[in-house]
Amino acid sequence: MEIKLMKNILSANDEIAALNRKMFAERGIVVMNLMGSPGSGKTTLLEQTLSKLVGKIRVAVIEGDLFTAKDAERIERLGVEVIQINTAGGCHLDAAMIQKACVSLNLDALDLLIVENVGNLVCPAEFDIGENFKAVVLSITEGDDKPLKYPLIFKESSATVLNKIDLLPFTNFDLQSARTDLTTLHPTIKIFETSCTKGTGLDDWTQWLLGKVTR
Amino acid sequence: MHEATLAENILNIALDAAQQNRATKIFKVGLTLGELVGVEVEALRMSFDVLKKNSPADDAELVINRVPISATCNKCGKIFKLERYNFFCPECDGVLILQSGRELLVDFVDCE
Repeated sequence: MEIKLMKNILSANDEIAALNRKMFAERGIVVMNLMGSPGSGKTTLLEQTLSKLVGKIRVAVIEGDLFTAKDAERIERLGVEVIQINTAGGCHLDAAMIQKACVSLNLDALDLLIVENVGNLVCPAEFDIGENFKAVVLSITEGDDKPLKYPLIFKESSATVLNKIDLLPFTNFDLQSARTDLTTLHPTIKIFETSCTKGTGLDDWTQWLLGKVTR
Repeated sequence: MHEATLAENILNIALDAAQQNRATKIFKVGLTLGELVGVEVEALRMSFDVLKKNSPADDAELVINRVPISATCNKCGKIFKLERYNFFCPECDGVLILQSGRELLVDFVDCE
């Protein structure tokens, strides 16, 4: 016999994500799922962003990594509460991991929770963790062809941060072509150009982020 | 490489459906996968074949139906099938809203 199901393969994850989203909404917390390749500068962007946000809003971080607590230690040095999740080889964070991590966070004392996902342009895009919006970091050294090679992550993200913009003169990265590809793929996407080591472009990005929290 | 996670979920959904219908043998599991989802079909088949061993789905085969990316213009209302990822309307100045291509579904389970 043929049983008709039409059941979402990720429904088990999506159900937990919906619970997370409800939990965050009830406490008025805005959650950003920050994604990007390994080495694109997610943690450095986070350090720069946090140093501008601390004192303005109450913020905490969940760090997703395959192994080690290196990134969490970097965030902790800024005096920001951080929970480390090690996926032990797993390529993405899922809703259940976030649910579990939130038990150790003081959610009543938060405006913004930033989740730094595992470095990967494929899998994290597929898994809802209960966030309000996604953002993806693309560094200049990765090449301008990435938006069309990994369309889903750029389609799902509200913003793209083009990081390491100071390296533009040393690469064949075509900024106009990348911007055109991003916009044709996702007409309403916000694009920021930053250099986290030089500290450029960060004000626009943090203002946008603050706008998401205090809207 | 989240194909192993997907294969595990697919197997669990199929086994649950079979059990609820008092079936002991699964022959086919039908999937609907949108073209926009990042699934490597060969890796998915391989993971499923490993996980299904010693279960009622031991001999089950995945039947995969890929759904093209389609989108509707928010101004003129026309529906377009997208070959490239251009979400600007080719016929007016509207923007295309995704209609299909994000599917990740267990469509049917063939069992007895």
